[in-house]
Amino acid sequence: MMTNRMKRGRGMAASWYGIARTATIDRAGAWAELDDGGTGKVVTGVTEIGEGILTVLAQVAAEEMGIRPEDVTIGDNDTSRAPEAAHAGATRQTYMIGNSVALAAREARNALFEEIADHWDVPVESLRAFNGELWAEDTNLRMTMEDAVATCKGRGVVPVGSASFTAHGTGLDPVDGSGSPWQAYVFGTQVAEVEVDTWTGEVQVLGIWAAHDVGRAINPRGVEGQIEGGVVQGLGQALMEEYTTEKGHAITHGFAKYILPTSLDIPQINCSIVEDPDPKSPLRAKGIGEPALVPTAPAIMNAIYDAIGVRIKSLPATPEKILEALRNHVPGREQIAQSARLERAEAARHQSAKA
Amino acid sequence: MPKLRIEAEVNGRKVDRETEPHKRLLDFLRDDLNLTGTKEGCGAGECGTCSVFVDGKLVKSCLMPAGKANGAKIETIEGLAKPGDLTPVQRAFHKTGASQCGYCIPGMVMAATSALRENPQADIEEIKERLGGNICRCTGYTKIFEAVEIAKGVIAGTVPETALEEDMVDDSFIGANVRRLDAPSKVSGRLKYAADMKLPDMLQMQVLRSPHAHARILSIDTSEAEAMDGVACVITAQDVPGTDGFGVFVHDQPIMARDKVRHVGEAVAAVAAEDLVTARRALSKIKVEYEELPGLFDPGEAMAPGAPVIHDYAQDNLIKHIPVRKGDVAAGFAEADLILEDDFSTQQVEHAYLEPEAGVAYVDPDDVVVVISPSQNISHHRHMLAEIIAKPINKVRFIMSPVGGGFGGKEDMIYQGMLALAAMKTHRPVQLNFTREESLIASAKRHPSRVHYRMGLKWDGRITAIEFDMLSDGGAFGMSSEGVMRKAAILSCGPYEVHNLKVDTRVVYTNNTPSGAFRTFGGMQAQFATESMMDMAAEALDMDPFEIRRVNMMKVGAKTHTQQTLETASLDRVLDAAEQASRWEKGAPRVRGATRKDLNGPDTRQPCTLGARIKKASKDSDESERVA
Ligand code: FES
Ligand code: FES
Repeated sequence: MMTNRMKRGRGMAASWYGIARTATIDRAGAWAELDDGGTGKVVTGVTEIGEGILTVLAQVAAEEMGIRPEDVTIGDNDTSRAPEAAHAGATRQTYMIGNSVALAAREARNALFEEIADHWDVPVESLRAFNGELWAEDTNLRMTMEDAVATCKGRGVVPVGSASFTAHGTGLDPVDGSGSPWQAYVFGTQVAEVEVDTWTGEVQVLGIWAAHDVGRAINPRGVEGQIEGGVVQGLGQALMEEYTTEKGHAITHGFAKYILPTSLDIPQINCSIVEDPDPKSPLRAKGIGEPALVPTAPAIMNAIYDAIGVRIKSLPATPEKILEALRNHVPGREQIAQSARLERAEAARHQSAKA
Repeated sequence: MPKLRIEAEVNGRKVDRETEPHKRLLDFLRDDLNLTGTKEGCGAGECGTCSVFVDGKLVKSCLMPAGKANGAKIETIEGLAKPGDLTPVQRAFHKTGASQCGYCIPGMVMAATSALRENPQADIEEIKERLGGNICRCTGYTKIFEAVEIAKGVIAGTVPETALEEDMVDDSFIGANVRRLDAPSKVSGRLKYAADMKLPDMLQMQVLRSPHAHARILSIDTSEAEAMDGVACVITAQDVPGTDGFGVFVHDQPIMARDKVRHVGEAVAAVAAEDLVTARRALSKIKVEYEELPGLFDPGEAMAPGAPVIHDYAQDNLIKHIPVRKGDVAAGFAEADLILEDDFSTQQVEHAYLEPEAGVAYVDPDDVVVVISPSQNISHHRHMLAEIIAKPINKVRFIMSPVGGGFGGKEDMIYQGMLALAAMKTHRPVQLNFTREESLIASAKRHPSRVHYRMGLKWDGRITAIEFDMLSDGGAFGMSSEGVMRKAAILSCGPYEVHNLKVDTRVVYTNNTPSGAFRTFGGMQAQFATESMMDMAAEALDMDPFEIRRVNMMKVGAKTHTQQTLETASLDRVLDAAEQASRWEKGAPRVRGATRKDLNGPDTRQPCTLGARIKKASKDSDESERVA
């Protein structure tokens, strides 16, 4: 099956990334209310750009409030009607807005718990709520969240909460760049397996193994979706995408010229979700939106090298570039160059030892 | 204008309408019938977001003149299931999380439905081929494939219907695969993106863009355009009442070109008119006199003496330089057994979100200027717009419409200001929908970058020093460039503890399409270089690539490149996870593809040859047509 024409190889790359805004303090606000029928209402300044944050926030609010995610309504992103939550970017939504919603929802739930504990005459710490039910531990006191909200309101209290979550990044020193740009970091590693057609220069990525630390996966399927999407954008940048201009005029002014990955370019993507909880935030989750893309292109370039012995240092590795590199390729030349470098390093070391 | 009469069956209902002869089927469906589930992602037959069935065949409605639909039977995303209901394909998309931003999804659902109608037994390879005309920028297609396979099974009766239901939740919603709450609205085409919105009395905006990369504007004459019947207003930089200028870090970009243009595609003037055709015609009546200036297209030349100056405030064309220093680089290299030196470059990349920029603005009864758009940063946009239109901040209101993909590309306020100005000038709602070409030439890209790299290592693989020098092309405006350089610098040398380093990242102005925020914000450009170097070092030192990374990796207590002490670090765990999951065969990366034993496992796909996979469709199954 493996002919001389088709060559396979594997490569890997590691990566790291910071969560939330860079080298600055980051903040996000949210309001929450436990509403009639045992439903929840959450308002925050920025949410979905496709990554699934609405669902994550609903899960977080539901968990805190003791209701179900589908019973959570998330208000519109509106600068005149919602508290500030800054922007949808910087892999910050789960971390910043997730935590802010968790804290706001917790506050609303606590307001309700106070009333119910008094109503039942039990310590507030004994109360638990999950999935639309509320109960006092070690008793048979139990009611639906719908009844709990009605009871709370009957006592004259609307259970509401609000919160602001802060991430303490610091600026960089203008001279040596020192500083603590983020309070949470994630790490990732990807392996790529490719097949290179040495006649056409075409590279197919057949498999990607992507291991990423996300702190805590609120919605594992959503995390996979982010990894898969990131990997494919990384693959596009590695192999085909290139916005080209000539004296400032775009040559690639449509999708006929600007080539994007389609369903036929997709490797099997095998995700491994690693959870190294964030110690500095209530949810302990971090993020995945951007980091998923970082190691893909270098892993693919390392795999191409493994397959055909040419190293593409200038993205994208188009068929033309691969063919050109193969034409200029002298087997073993990289190795010869390496040993020359080793000798030079040796010589330099002797010199500096003498000096 | 002569009218065109169309009699057709649309989603099972008889339709008999007059429309304009220039319309495409896509326009007829969206504008005349308000079936906005069918999207326009490119208008050129290249993305599939406009897919519908015409007489049972999957068709790209942007390529079909409306007149050709006369007498046809048309089915759109809205007609697949009864209102409030979903087909098995739609339910499967919901189940697997196959919709992210959702903009490609109506078209993708149509293509998947078509695939299963054409061949209810299609295997995964055939399904992929049949979806080949539909682009999705968000999902990486994987969950879409999964959804189509489940739907296929359910329709064929080989998989129980329960496969479409939500997974059970144990004792916590955290860590549960809760189905996406926004999926039903996306798979059914019900969700309204900005371009799908219609307000009563709404005007359509079109933008006149610069044909030059660098030119002085000598005059703009809008009088003829303004005098046209149906034109409500023409706006230029002269209409800005406050302090013009926006940008994420430096406010160097005017709402519309002021005195000069700095890149091809920069907005120069805009027209708001009763309809799109009038607005387009009016653009051709605006006369702009330019005096061309020498252009700057290579970032390498930007800082050379005598280079054209793009912005007066930056005579050296430098937008930002971020230095990071740690330890003693000279000593680090002196101590090295091996020094590698090389150059790397990355290209300019387009976000290619399937939803082109779009927005609506109006002035509300309380004199609040309201802008509805898929903005990734409504808080910052309202700050900037308040300054630009000289209003108190609570008189500016930004609403984030559903975002059909962003990836950083919708963080810049490149059109919302024009909408606001036209709404203020006319006191009518105004809508602007970019074409794909406009989106491509006017929106920011991923920074193209060049990295010069030096790395010193010991025989045992330990890195002793790194010198990392990056030059990036910021294009005509600053946008997010400063932040991108900062992130690139901070992450530059990768997840390794390096005791001696010297990092410089620079970004300069040119007359190229501006660069801005793009998923990883400089992180991928920098780490592409580092991760290539790591493998080159591993080869030279005869080490396994995982091993050389373990030797250098940051652990708890490590000092980062910016000298922050890490309190957690998980590189060891992700390295182990990837190595194990991929069944990695240990060895130095010395072109051993031909001999390695870990290839071609069950967790890879088979290589493909285009066009080889569509099997003969089984056409006899009428039943599948109805249920699919
Ligand atoms: S294919 Fe019709 S809009 Fe893209
Ligand atoms: S979900 Fe496919 S383009 Fe966004």
